[in-house]
Amino acid sequence: MSTPEGASSGLPRYPAPAAPGTGGAAVVVRGLRKKFGAREAVAGIDLEVAAGSLAGLVGPNGAGKTTSLSMMTGLLRPDSGQILINGIDVWRDPPAAKAAIGVVPAEARLFDRLSGEELLEYAGRLRGLPAGQARSRAAQLLDVLDLAGDARRLVADYSTGMRKKAALGCALIHNPPVLFLDEPLEGVDPVSGDVIRRLLTRFAGSGSTVLFSSHVMELVEQVCDHVSIIDKGKIVVTGTIDEVRGGKTLQRAFIDRVGPRATDAEVLSWLGSSSS
Amino acid sequence: MARLLVQLKLRLLVNALRSSNSAKVSFIISSTFAVLLAIFTFLVLAGFRGKSTSVELTSVIFTVFAFGWLIAPIMVFGLDSTLDPATLALYPLRTRPLAVGLLAASFTGLWPLANIIGLLGVTVGLASGGLGVIVAVVAVVLEVLFCIALARFVTTSLASLLRSRRGRDLAAFLIIPLFALYEFFAQVAPKAASEGTITAASFAGFDSWMRWLPPGLAAHAIQDASDGRPGLAVARLGALAAIILVFVWLWVRSLGRALVTADTTTQSSRVRGTRLPLAGLGLRGAVAARFWLYQRREPLSLVYWALVAVITAAVSASAVFGRTHHPAVILASAVFGPALVGIFHANSAAQTGPAFVLEATALSRRRDLRAYFSGQNLVLGAIGAPLVVAVCFALAAAAGDPGVGVEATPVVLAGLGAALGLSGLFTAALPYPMVKRAGTPVFVPAPGYAGYRLGGLLTLVGTAVLAAPAIVGAVLAANGPDAIRIGVLVPCAAVYGFALALIGVRLAAKVAEGTLPEMCQAALRTVT
Repeated sequence: MSTPEGASSGLPRYPAPAAPGTGGAAVVVRGLRKKFGAREAVAGIDLEVAAGSLAGLVGPNGAGKTTSLSMMTGLLRPDSGQILINGIDVWRDPPAAKAAIGVVPAEARLFDRLSGEELLEYAGRLRGLPAGQARSRAAQLLDVLDLAGDARRLVADYSTGMRKKAALGCALIHNPPVLFLDEPLEGVDPVSGDVIRRLLTRFAGSGSTVLFSSHVMELVEQVCDHVSIIDKGKIVVTGTIDEVRGGKTLQRAFIDRVGPRATDAEVLSWLGSSSS
Repeated sequence: MARLLVQLKLRLLVNALRSSNSAKVSFIISSTFAVLLAIFTFLVLAGFRGKSTSVELTSVIFTVFAFGWLIAPIMVFGLDSTLDPATLALYPLRTRPLAVGLLAASFTGLWPLANIIGLLGVTVGLASGGLGVIVAVVAVVLEVLFCIALARFVTTSLASLLRSRRGRDLAAFLIIPLFALYEFFAQVAPKAASEGTITAASFAGFDSWMRWLPPGLAAHAIQDASDGRPGLAVARLGALAAIILVFVWLWVRSLGRALVTADTTTQSSRVRGTRLPLAGLGLRGAVAARFWLYQRREPLSLVYWALVAVITAAVSASAVFGRTHHPAVILASAVFGPALVGIFHANSAAQTGPAFVLEATALSRRRDLRAYFSGQNLVLGAIGAPLVVAVCFALAAAAGDPGVGVEATPVVLAGLGAALGLSGLFTAALPYPMVKRAGTPVFVPAPGYAGYRLGGLLTLVGTAVLAAPAIVGAVLAANGPDAIRIGVLVPCAAVYGFALALIGVRLAAKVAEGTLPEMCQAALRTVT
């Protein structure tokens, strides 16, 4: 059970990962729908993420990944559907559900007028950690995330990769049993990407659950044990990596499922060094 | 190259009319202001005709225009892509034709045209005779050319700085002197002029040194030509042209350098402290600590406080510069100041921007939300109360009646409590996305949400209504033995204000429990 230290001293109490009635699933989504005007961004999603698994949610741009994750994390009100995190209904008991999750949004927009260590300490204190504990965890996370040397720099001066790592630190500081990440490696250099990848693998290896969206098939293939492909607001396939791949690469399987986007090379017949 | 860049500028102007409705409205408003500026300036300059101090006043107007050209491009740096040499650095362009092209592009548009037309008011107000009018036209063209060369030189020299976070922070502060100038001309100067405190002769002293500056040279050349001293007029215009050439030369040099110089965006600053303050106050302390650091480090927060001080002072300008010293005027400032603090924070969650997600994912219980709102109020109260009280005391002292500052204090305390309570309530009940446009000092509602300004308006009205008991008390105290009544009134007003803020926090937390997702979406859609 992933419970932070001091849970008995008035800190948020996290439920066990495998809550009763969820069949051992940490995240259960049923009939999730969301419309923006006439456009249906999420058109009835059903999804289960097993406790302790590292699951990927992949899809083309505009498929509904960010909208789905926003609804699962209590940041966007769904039109209909149910979301359970460790058995807690996110929209019936938001405080309990939010206490059990960590979130890294797509655009790592942080409090950029705080230094890295101030930011992580703030995230810890927001989550109810005592100041001393928040501070020590912040220092440890900054060290692991390779940000210790920049801990006193303002986040406003961080690069994209550093911001993503800082956002991950904020999401992990209270040791949540379930972690949601939206495009964690978007715009991140290979070195920072490797740091994030190792941390996620280690986190999931300890029995915690990770669900993240990504465009990077290679990453999903390397670190995830489960993957779901979303297109036009619906899950088109879900299962273990091997099941979804079906003997091909995940990239190929993804394109086969979602359909190749039209190209017309003849229009660009002038392009290339052999043309004049 | 000149033709290409002029066409680019015209294309950008035409595209503004074809783009979104909000861009179209902005363009129409901007064009209307340009036309109004041209008419107003022309009439003001023409109105100087026959005045003994017309050349001094013209010098002042010319200098104000140069100041405007100096400041405005720095503030709208990100808005006009032709101002940033980095956008052209990728193309194989030689510096000299590029400079000519950029100069021509600067002359293109409604605002430069409005400047020329407006300044041509000198042909009526200052020039006389054929030679005077000809020199006036040349002087106006040179004055505008000087303004453009100066603006181009400064923005190009500062381009690498303005692209950096620190440079943009500094540019944000430029709004403060501009706003103070606006308040001076809109509020203080008319009242002072109508009561004879400021007359045309007041500017005579300025002219002794301003006549040697480029705008002064242009103005005095017109007078010299009109008074039959053509040689002196030509000499002044020649000096002005030489100064322009120097600025153009400096600009071309800095342009050449800017095209091959790395920007400074990688430079960064370190903070001194290692810990967040107020560790002993739990969640409330954490929110207050973050908010406190933002008041110090975020330019927008500092701009808000500067605007509170400037507007609070301007409201009672008549008490300082006029002949009526009625305390009620300074009491108006004591209500306006706190109300402004509330108005500026009446959508504080959305104003936080997408970073609010970090707070929204952690706060949900009503108890947490109370801590969130009260943490913010602690900081706003700690800064707002002494600031507004100090401004009221300064106004009272300037008006020659320091006792009025004491009477204003209870009004400030009650008003601030009301304003903070209302701002929290509207933050929770009426969240809406905001945008921060280049060139504007504050957040404005995103397109389609203009009606949500209602929250700010209701904060203003509500503050005045809820502070009414303190206002009545202050007026009564002014007519009795002050020492006794004020001694009771100040603590009573403080308790009353605290109670209002507390009620506001409790109501805001109750409402926010249901609207947190909407607050979050408003924050995510806010463009900072």
